[in-house]
Amino acid sequence: MSTPVKKLVTAIGTSIAVMGAGHAAAEIKIGIAGPMTGPVAQYGDMQFSGARMAIEQINAAGGVMGEQLVAVEQDDVCDPKQAVTVANNMVNEGVRFVVGHLCSSSTQPASDIYEDEGILMVTPASTSPEITERGYELIFRTIGLDSMQGPVAANYLISQEPERVAVIHDKQQYGEGIATAVRDTLEEGGVEVAMFEGITAGAKDFSSLVTKLRQADVDYVYYGGYHPELGLILRQARQAELDTIFMGPEGVGNKDINTIAGEAAEGLLVTLPPSFDEKEENQELVQAFEDKGEDPSGPFVLTSYTAVQLIADGIEAANSTDPFDVAEALREGNFQTPIGTVEYDSKGDMESFEFVVYEWHSDGSKTPVN
Amino acid sequence: MQDLLYFIQQLINGLTIGSTYALIAIGYTMVYGIIGMINFAHGEIYMIGAYTALIAITGLAALGIAWLPLVLIVALICAMIVSSSMGWAVERVAYRPVRGKHRLIPLISAIGMSIFLQNYVHLAQGSRNIGFPALIEGGFRFGAEDSFQTSITYMQITIFATTLVCMTILSLFISRSRIGRACRAVSQDLGMANLLGIDTNRIISATFVIGAALAAVAGLLLGMYYGSIDPLFGFIAGLKAFTAAVLGGIGSIPGAMLGGLILGVAESMTSGYLSGEYKDVVSFGLLILILLFKPTGLLGKPEVEKI
Repeated sequence: MSTPVKKLVTAIGTSIAVMGAGHAAAEIKIGIAGPMTGPVAQYGDMQFSGARMAIEQINAAGGVMGEQLVAVEQDDVCDPKQAVTVANNMVNEGVRFVVGHLCSSSTQPASDIYEDEGILMVTPASTSPEITERGYELIFRTIGLDSMQGPVAANYLISQEPERVAVIHDKQQYGEGIATAVRDTLEEGGVEVAMFEGITAGAKDFSSLVTKLRQADVDYVYYGGYHPELGLILRQARQAELDTIFMGPEGVGNKDINTIAGEAAEGLLVTLPPSFDEKEENQELVQAFEDKGEDPSGPFVLTSYTAVQLIADGIEAANSTDPFDVAEALREGNFQTPIGTVEYDSKGDMESFEFVVYEWHSDGSKTPVN
Repeated sequence: MQDLLYFIQQLINGLTIGSTYALIAIGYTMVYGIIGMINFAHGEIYMIGAYTALIAITGLAALGIAWLPLVLIVALICAMIVSSSMGWAVERVAYRPVRGKHRLIPLISAIGMSIFLQNYVHLAQGSRNIGFPALIEGGFRFGAEDSFQTSITYMQITIFATTLVCMTILSLFISRSRIGRACRAVSQDLGMANLLGIDTNRIISATFVIGAALAAVAGLLLGMYYGSIDPLFGFIAGLKAFTAAVLGGIGSIPGAMLGGLILGVAESMTSGYLSGEYKDVVSFGLLILILLFKPTGLLGKPEVEKI
């Protein structure tokens, strides 16, 4: 390379670096990490839609400490390996606040990196208790835990006085975790758990499982996992004329289960966070989503909105963009959000979070059961 | 009696899955038999067959055509045409240019093709699970009313019958037709067949096309049987079918059929009597065992080094 060209290249390089640095000072980057593609991308849509709306509204209201929020979006496909890559990308991008990840099995490995690198993470959807059990300072959530959700489901089942219940899970952190919580509560309540078995996520053929369920002669089947597998199990069960009632966690409660299971989804029981979009005080926000042509009724839309809002409120309260100061502010304060008043315990979990049992219908709507 | 009915039910479940594995395995085994290569993009061809069938069914429904035999035949023909052209194109793009090179090169280009096709469908059709309409419903049941009943659905019968018909046609085709005879000649000795005036390029294309057409049949059948499809579902199915092909003896067509059925039954018995968690452990464990103790597979012929 000749000298003048070399100089020019160096000059361009330097000016880009300077521009980059100058740019970063005037804004706060908010990382949004979740599945944009893959089998559970539906939930990712909810997360991105809620977080984007919060960023938009906060920016329109003048930003945080006079600075604008900028979204850095990354796709983790709900794959633990990809989640680690995404977390490293966030570090390289200079992001200090992350909304995500969605699947517990992704959040777990990614949160190790965030904690090490001093990045504050708020997950709007991961319910696995283990995530906040490692004494980390920077990990928060805007959703309840499986240890709250599982007992809600199990206690509902116990109240129906079944003789035998089968518990199935997808062997993933979220599914198996919640299935275990359900099994333990059922056994404490004196209900016989006739079957506790894992399936492989992504499998399509459940004919053997359905045969086994038919032989086990159970009153209810609880499934811990996500909708693609439960949809198929429901459909194959109805085709084999197994008419047991199925129940699942919020991971199965979205309209895509209807496209897979069709009529077979009628009567499915689901534990979900309460419908925040039906609350009186959120109607203005719901209208804002509807004006954009987006649906705010998914379980993770407003929890994601809240995650961004909490980061912004935390920064304001700490009067600092240092993630450690913000984490301290979040633990100390209490915040008014669309999902109610948020107060954190020392682990980073919300002091209280309610789950409600819904009955799902074949047209994708749901009605509360209790 | 109960236990027997339960056993029969699991056997039916296993044979259903096994016969579709066999349909896909034919594609692997024929290509291997002729040019000694593993076509790793075959699972994707199967997946594309299922998508094409779904698009055809949706299209016909939009036109208001609901007469079942017509819908099935149109979907089947569309899927076979699209998959076959894909199979042909894959051979032209990913295999022919590297044929005769080191064995690793076509293997890698096949994996590249598989990744390309998967991502193409991701882009074109989205990455979500799409529901597949259950066109054939209902079935027979055996056993006392108030205890366990063995059921065999019309869908399962359709799968058996279709597989049987396809396999019979294929066997007749290979043993009786001119192209079939040429296929056998090419698989015995490609160079010699060439010298004797067989257009080997055409024969190799034909094996890819036949394998792809059968994979498309499996795609339509399994789409209806399971109830949903996604761009990644060809991968595992391809792996299972490949296992079936190796189990039966890769390169042997009856071997692929036998391997598929054994694998299907082994899987359903494992989930039926042990636990669904061990299903894949057993199928791939079988593969390891067969490679250790009988590397040529159940019906495979030992490879004689030609001098």
